[in-house]
Amino acid sequence: MSQSNRKLRLYVTIGQRLFRDSLLFQLLLHSDIDLVGESESGIDTLNRLESAKPGVLIIEENLLDNDGLTIAENALSMHPTLSILLISDTPVSASRLGIYLEAGIKAVVSKHQPIQDLVKTLFCIRNGQVYVGAWNKPDTPSQGLVNAYHALSGREREVAQMIASRTPIKEIAAQLGVSCKTVHSYKDRIFIKLGFERLPELILFMKRHHNGAAA
Amino acid sequence: MAITEEPQIFLRYESKQALAALEGELGNKLKIDAFETDQAAIAALKERSVLPHALFILTSQPSSQTNSPLLTHARDTHPDLLKILISDAVPLDVLVSLLEKRLIDRCFEQPLDPDLVRSHVLTSALARKSNEYVMPEVKPKAASEVPTVLIVDDEPTATKYLARQLERMQNDFRVLCADSAEQALKLIQSISGTLAVIMTDQRMPGMQGKELLDELKQSHPATVRILTSAYGEVNVALDAVNEGGIFRYQKKPWRATELLPLFQEAIARHLTLASARENTLSQLEHQFNGLRDKRRELLLSNLSEPVDTAAGAPVMSRFLQALDTIPCLFANTSHLRASLETSLENDLIQQFDEQVHRQLKRLQVAASMHTEIDGAAIRAALQRSEEPEYEHGSNAPASSILLMLCEALTTLLTASGLSWRSLNLNQTSEHSLILSCEAPLKLYAHLLAPLTRLSRPFLDQQVALLLLFVSTYRLGGELQIRGATQSYNLVLALPLANSPEA
Repeated sequence: MSQSNRKLRLYVTIGQRLFRDSLLFQLLLHSDIDLVGESESGIDTLNRLESAKPGVLIIEENLLDNDGLTIAENALSMHPTLSILLISDTPVSASRLGIYLEAGIKAVVSKHQPIQDLVKTLFCIRNGQVYVGAWNKPDTPSQGLVNAYHALSGREREVAQMIASRTPIKEIAAQLGVSCKTVHSYKDRIFIKLGFERLPELILFMKRHHNGAAA
Repeated sequence: MAITEEPQIFLRYESKQALAALEGELGNKLKIDAFETDQAAIAALKERSVLPHALFILTSQPSSQTNSPLLTHARDTHPDLLKILISDAVPLDVLVSLLEKRLIDRCFEQPLDPDLVRSHVLTSALARKSNEYVMPEVKPKAASEVPTVLIVDDEPTATKYLARQLERMQNDFRVLCADSAEQALKLIQSISGTLAVIMTDQRMPGMQGKELLDELKQSHPATVRILTSAYGEVNVALDAVNEGGIFRYQKKPWRATELLPLFQEAIARHLTLASARENTLSQLEHQFNGLRDKRRELLLSNLSEPVDTAAGAPVMSRFLQALDTIPCLFANTSHLRASLETSLENDLIQQFDEQVHRQLKRLQVAASMHTEIDGAAIRAALQRSEEPEYEHGSNAPASSILLMLCEALTTLLTASGLSWRSLNLNQTSEHSLILSCEAPLKLYAHLLAPLTRLSRPFLDQQVALLLLFVSTYRLGGELQIRGATQSYNLVLALPLANSPEA
């Protein structure tokens, strides 16, 4: 996107602590995200926005104290340059999405989407650009990933399985009779081909694939 | 409805191979009609009664587009049509000249992100759809004051000299200067009226020109934005076009004789934008007033009778009058669309109605219980209604009207981030108790305000406020609401005797 070297100043408003923590652990893996504040309620968000000066606000639609969308609209009326990502409980219909976008929301991600969608969307909207993710993709969003996995070479798949079962690189090298360097380059290729950035993503995918669950 | 349909695209291509590749990427997200010649595309544009959502030009030779008959036709005949150029590489000169002729609105280099392209198409389709609601008559208004042009560059000597030159050449606009983006933002806040045009250098210490323009696009949409640079950074220029929606990319060095017509053109554009906006806002307000009147009428006719009977006073109209004193956000197209295109208006009346009736039933039951009103009883009831296991607005019977009153208060206090601790309890005389809140309570939206969706907290708050009226008057008391912007002050007087029995 942009060459901007500024950090993404993020504020997160999510009611449930467990959900907020899980999300933040994922987001803070990205070094250019700077968390400038978090709230569990809408009213607290509006009170603290002025001093936190975030560039992006992630806010849940269903908060306990006030409607998340109403809070978002009010946050925008005070800070028109704020980019807001709304998290909805259910996938939103196209016509509702239209209403949200006209209200000034930059993107909507539903709780049914994978974390990668949220991260991608977050970086797309940081400069005020509207981003419409793939809301009318077919029901199996991970099909592309499964295809990518099957497109791996036999060796790559073998290595992926061993990495996912947390076999040390040295051991993998010994078992396959190749050097550690070669295993590392397999690993890099697997990550690039599957679009992963971190080990837990690979482990989770392999487990789900193995267990036959839809990712 | 623009966004609910698959967006329709007209695409002009040169090579079948490139077309197939692009269709592979975008085909399942956009409906594409492809044309091999400009003439065929122009003919189709003339023929179709419904305009496509965007016109794509897929070319390996972007320079050939600077005098494209198709783009010229589209610019002159369909000013609303989004024109997108897609190419492998776009030289800066070509981009600058396409912008100058207003031939394209967006420009993407391959490989492109299909979701991003789709986002642009949908955003533009939405904007066009909004215009259908309000049909602004775009008549540029005569400037009431001299328009202002702001030039931002970290070389103050250059800008000062240029500003003086420009001011000497004309009397139509005044020129201000800032030597950083930060200073520019401060200056914009301090000037009266809106800024007509901003021209900023890209490379500056601190905030960059592109970021400044991104910010202004959001906060000052009617200000016309021009980016300038001595460096030929195509990426910056592309981002500025696609994300920052710039009017022009002006290369350095500047010449006053070139800038004068540019600024005059930009000011004309600003006046058009500003008056269209003003028109839209006033028409939206007018349309929403009609919706508000209808809501009020329905609420009064459905609920006046049961509510007033339960309260023993004309409470329903007092409640609506109180809401009238609390201004919320101005109506915008999202509110209008929600009201006109979804079941929001019906649901609002129906769900509010249901909840109110449920509460009135509880009130009826609670009224048969004896209520002792004094400071201690109120404190106890408030504390009780705040306990986590206490269920609000449920169907469970309440043990007294006082408890229901405190329930309502707690709901309203919680929505404002407050608790009963911020309430003042004063006994002014032997006969009455005054309950007031130190801080104003918040009401970000209400039954007579523009709405985008119904939510549980919203309905709960509205019902709680009405119920506060009902229970107060039922107990022989009086409730005063003094409204302010999205908030209100509350003073509640209760008689200090046993409550009148039902």
